[in-house]
Amino acid sequence: MSEQSSSRPLIVMDDIVKIFVNAAGTFTALKGVHLTVYEGEFVSIVGKSGSGKSTLLNMLTGIDHPTEGRVLVDGVDVYAMSESQRSQWRGRNLGIVFQFFQLLPMLTLHENVMLPMDYADKYAFDERPQRALELLKMVGLEKQAYKLPLAVSTGQQQSAAIARALANDPPIIVADEPTGNLDSRSAAYIIDIFEELSRRGKTIVMVTHDPSMTERTTRTVVISDGELIEEAIVLALPMLSHPLMRAVHDRAERLTFNPGETIIQQKAPVDKFFIIAEGRVEVVLQVRGKEEVIVSHLGRGDFFGEVELTRGGKAIASVRAALDAPVRLLALSRPDFDWLMEASPMTAEAVGRIVQQRLQENRSQERRKRPRILGGR
Amino acid sequence: MPDTSASEPIIQLREVVKTYHSEAGDYTALKGLNLEVYPGEFLGILGKSGAGKSTLLNMLSGVDQVTSGEVLVRSAEGVIALHTLDENALALWRGRNMGIVYQSFQLLPTLSLMENVMLPIDLCGNYHPRRSRERAMELLRMVELEEHARKIPAFISGGQKQRVAIARALANDPPIIVADEPTGSLDSVTAEHIFELFEKLVAAGKTIVMVTHDQGLMPRFTRYKILADGAWVEEMP
Amino acid sequence: MRPRWKKVLTDLWDNKARTLLVVLSIAIGVLAIGVIAGAYVIIDADMSVSYAAHNPANLELRMQDFDTDLLDAVRHYHGIADAEARRAISLSVRPQGSEVWTKLDFIAVQDFKENRINLLTPVEGADQPHNGEILLEEDARDKLGVAPGDVVEVRLRDGTIKPLRVAGIVQDPTTSAADFLAAPLAYVPDDSLPDLHQPQTFNRLYITLDSGQDDEDHIREMLFTVKDKIEKSGYYVGFTRRSKTHQHPLASTVNAVLGILMALGVLIVFLSSSLIANTLSALLQQHMRHIGVMKLVGGRNYQVLGMYLVLMLAFGLLALLIAVPLGGQGAYGLALFIANSIGFALQGYRIVPLAFVAQIAVGLLVPLVAGLAPVLSGTRITVLQAISGDPARFGGGVSESLIDRTLLRLTQALARRGIHTPRPVLISIRNTFRNKRRLALTLFTLTMGGAIFISVFNVRTSLYRFVQQVGNYFLADVSVDFSKSYRIHKVESYIKQVPGVVAVEGWTYATAEILYPDGSLADNINILAPPANTSLVSPLMVAGRWMRPDDVRKLVISESILDAYPDLQPGDTLRLKIEGKEETWEVVGIFKFVGLEGTLGYAPYEYLSRAQNRANRAFSYRVITEEHDRAYQNLMRQRLDASLRAHGFQVEDTTAGLASLDDASESLDILITFLLIMALLTATVGSMGLAGTMGMNVLERTREIGIMRAIGGTDTRIMGIVITEGLFIGLISWVLADILSVPFSYFLSGIVSRAIFNTPIQVVFTPTGFGLWLGLVIILSSLASVLPAYNAARLTIREVLAYE
Repeated sequence: MSEQSSSRPLIVMDDIVKIFVNAAGTFTALKGVHLTVYEGEFVSIVGKSGSGKSTLLNMLTGIDHPTEGRVLVDGVDVYAMSESQRSQWRGRNLGIVFQFFQLLPMLTLHENVMLPMDYADKYAFDERPQRALELLKMVGLEKQAYKLPLAVSTGQQQSAAIARALANDPPIIVADEPTGNLDSRSAAYIIDIFEELSRRGKTIVMVTHDPSMTERTTRTVVISDGELIEEAIVLALPMLSHPLMRAVHDRAERLTFNPGETIIQQKAPVDKFFIIAEGRVEVVLQVRGKEEVIVSHLGRGDFFGEVELTRGGKAIASVRAALDAPVRLLALSRPDFDWLMEASPMTAEAVGRIVQQRLQENRSQERRKRPRILGGR
Repeated sequence: MPDTSASEPIIQLREVVKTYHSEAGDYTALKGLNLEVYPGEFLGILGKSGAGKSTLLNMLSGVDQVTSGEVLVRSAEGVIALHTLDENALALWRGRNMGIVYQSFQLLPTLSLMENVMLPIDLCGNYHPRRSRERAMELLRMVELEEHARKIPAFISGGQKQRVAIARALANDPPIIVADEPTGSLDSVTAEHIFELFEKLVAAGKTIVMVTHDQGLMPRFTRYKILADGAWVEEMP
Repeated sequence: MRPRWKKVLTDLWDNKARTLLVVLSIAIGVLAIGVIAGAYVIIDADMSVSYAAHNPANLELRMQDFDTDLLDAVRHYHGIADAEARRAISLSVRPQGSEVWTKLDFIAVQDFKENRINLLTPVEGADQPHNGEILLEEDARDKLGVAPGDVVEVRLRDGTIKPLRVAGIVQDPTTSAADFLAAPLAYVPDDSLPDLHQPQTFNRLYITLDSGQDDEDHIREMLFTVKDKIEKSGYYVGFTRRSKTHQHPLASTVNAVLGILMALGVLIVFLSSSLIANTLSALLQQHMRHIGVMKLVGGRNYQVLGMYLVLMLAFGLLALLIAVPLGGQGAYGLALFIANSIGFALQGYRIVPLAFVAQIAVGLLVPLVAGLAPVLSGTRITVLQAISGDPARFGGGVSESLIDRTLLRLTQALARRGIHTPRPVLISIRNTFRNKRRLALTLFTLTMGGAIFISVFNVRTSLYRFVQQVGNYFLADVSVDFSKSYRIHKVESYIKQVPGVVAVEGWTYATAEILYPDGSLADNINILAPPANTSLVSPLMVAGRWMRPDDVRKLVISESILDAYPDLQPGDTLRLKIEGKEETWEVVGIFKFVGLEGTLGYAPYEYLSRAQNRANRAFSYRVITEEHDRAYQNLMRQRLDASLRAHGFQVEDTTAGLASLDDASESLDILITFLLIMALLTATVGSMGLAGTMGMNVLERTREIGIMRAIGGTDTRIMGIVITEGLFIGLISWVLADILSVPFSYFLSGIVSRAIFNTPIQVVFTPTGFGLWLGLVIILSSLASVLPAYNAARLTIREVLAYE
């Protein structure tokens, strides 16, 4: 995505390994995860239970220790601090929202929101009640402010928990399945609040196992059995189930092309399905002899080669790496692609639609001889 | 595939409503559900969290009381209306007729695997106490844990724990097994093993009702129903 | 083993800290009951056996000097089994090289080999002293700190100092058994009396009867007869005492004291029960899920209930294993301690069946009774409540109590006025009231412990002050006794020259017998005669008035007269036999006084000195000095002694005031020590309760602690929250204990003083107990919450919120 390069990396997780050791043996929950989150992003981490997504979140919040690797949040090495220092740091820099709200039951909503301010000492003591009230107002709870958590609905509890997460105005909000325990109406309300926070410039990282929530985020990271799925796969084939994404991730061949290098030659046979992991490619059509027309640029998360694989036959256009930078591709062999299309009829259907669209574009292009943007996703 | 139209349902829910009361107001988790479960079927109940799946399961295992409606179960003693039994009678009935498997295993941490499996027999067993040890061992052998029989649950993995929980659910050889997200906290490979174990039990003639939010499992049930906000729906929302 | 019993076994074994807490709580109660019940039975039996074994005199007569002729005559009286004569004198003694004088009662014994009454039991060294040697009673040895072979110095009446070698140590359970305020005893052969500047005659007669030795009426009759005969032989009898053979004179006092200890023991059982109830209800809460699982797989209520009842019996049995052997040892130890301090011997170690049975009953019943409520409610939990881990949500719903609402409104009212309480403090305060049943039980134990602790200090001060007041009836800073009477003006002028002297009074006194209307002896009375306007005596009047200078044959009398004349009131008359003459005196007032040595009376010096033909003269003088502490009094005694002797006065003895009160205070100290031990035991139970409560609270709130961690709470903050809660509970209990200690002090001081002094005393409140308990409660509650707090801070959030 283009905005990534212009903004600052706020969270950098570097080769995180987490191994749980217990009497039953060892269990590797995270198998060397790299993740960079940029300022202002709204990232959802999706994965099934047991995939390691909550563990990943715990690494980010400093709630649990990684076995290997480093976590930098805004340049601070989270695990160079003692547990107690980390609590203090967390209170000032991260707002955490839990699946089960985790409001302290003996404090009113208003007091719950003030508590992090008491811990962080960032706002003056007398300023805190007013600020807490404003935050509660923002999440629509000004009327419930002086009630105890058990006296309000679960949706309201979660709203209050979000207000609490904002108490010290932290740049980062981390949420662990914040809608996991809510009915669908409350869940929608909570998601709206998160969107609003994202608009106001907060960086948000949210774990969920509900793929429909990811529609509202700016970026989706899929984790499966302790590894992140190459994000390009998630972008290119969002209808795949996680095990299938995982299969693509595992089976794909990683290829790199230099700027300008040709990947597919028009009319040459094609037996691979390509997903762009990094960089851009140019789709070039040779019209009537030698004339070359760049019909489109494809970028990260776009794919090509599907027309040829589904239709059999030769390349309908040439594809080459863009001139500005090298291109990294994920390539799936024909048998793997066929297997995938069979395993996920929904994906096959979506790919089929793209094929139709591209063929149509191609024909009109041949007629008009001028480039037009092709939709990749 | 059992012929659901021909046989009598083994479990029948009629217009089941469940409402929770709290200071924040009433919350209706189940909105008049009907359900028939037929002998020998592997019924999946799907839905997102908060849809009311677990509440439904609690109704048909007698763990929770309906607000209104009926829960009828056919067993050796005839058709029983669960909502009319008192707690002790319910415990005895459940111990003998229904095995329950939870996402969080619910093994007793201080007892060995063997003793965990023996517990239902000890408490309301159909077996002679001397036979209960042999029975427990057979079940552990079936779930391939016989060499761990003397260990306590802390010394085995999550998947193994769930296998013990299944063995325990089978202790009194009940005709019905209900399972609440039994693979929910397991990694995908282990989850697959556990699911296969359930498939074997169905093949052996048990009736199984399983709650899950994993749509990937849909094709593997003999029948599935989808729950959303306390009511049946046609498709996953 | 069937799985359910295996589970009971592992429940016992797996959480050792909790098992230990419960077992110790039960054991403390069992131990207290075992020790006190055992000691009670042992002492009750052995005290009289030991007393009888020393062949105590049934009659004791203190009289004018007599010789063996009278003794031989008495031995032939009808109804007399045996008689022994001795000479008793009071002399001050110090170990060689020491400056501190101790007053001992010297008993000159005719023949140690022929000792048949009031037998001495050899303890150490020789039991037959020669001339120049001395035997010491155990008390005297302890007080002087000497051993056989050491030399002590005796200050004779004329001031000369004579060394005596300590030949041996003996135990004398009978001679001063009735009077634990009496001076310690020493024994010398009667042929050494001349060396002590004493005539070689006797002044005490000890008699045993040949029948009816335990018959009160017979003994009194015999005393009357014997005394009458002796007086007809021309001897004047000053003081008499009678005793049964098989009843120690202090038996009722000791039993009363043990009764008080028993009551405290029962209280400790109660307190430990509430501690047990607390721990068990936490255990049941922790086992909620287990109970749910058992019910889920077919367990019925009675099966689960049975398991937990067996668990409780197991706790009881473990407690018995600890407490029964310890209790047996403790009972004997306590009995031995009491026997040693009173001075009698036990018959040897043994197990008391009654105490044994009581211990087993307490050990098994207490956990069952205390645990019944939590176990019943715990095992009644439904599967749903248990599995969801949230009984509140699926149970009857959460209801806010009045306290919660009040606290909430209070903070909100304060907040409206702009006073905001920091949230961590709010958490501590509101957490305190979250589990109200637990809080109530914790407060109960801690408050009772505190109230008893404070009360013991109040009782102690009350007792001491009472003894002080009693001392004031006849003591001054320094008392000076002369061998002959001097004119008061003369003595006064000399004494007042001694620097430090403020005032001096000349006193006289008389001994008399109070008679029943039929002429038989009702009681002995010592009549003190200070000037009517004396500044030294401030009597605690019960009825009537204090004496006046113009009183003639009028008497203010101590309330012990009520034993003989229960209906006596001011204005009534008494028949007294005073120095051989029968007279009729009017009682004008009755005052409070303690003492086992008969009755005390006051008449004005103005009258009595004239009646004795010694107007304006006195043997005995009371001196008031500038300061009243022990050191100053001792200094002034030395100065006065030296100065008066230097001016040629025949000084018989000089005594510093407080020194003679020390003995009395010491025997009270034993009692106070016991009470304090009991108070500390209750306080221990209380703080064990608090520690348990804080531990359970932290355990149940680990999730919340994790949340606080997650939103920025540091170690110190989290520990602070836990410790503040502990301190808060401690302080609440302190306030409650302060209030409760008022009735407790009255109650305890009432029963203690009745037991010892036979009279209720005025209760004095001292800040010492309140202050000490405040300090102690702060220390105890900090200690009780530090470990749980540390555990709380050590929890990592992942453990607490346990995601995967």
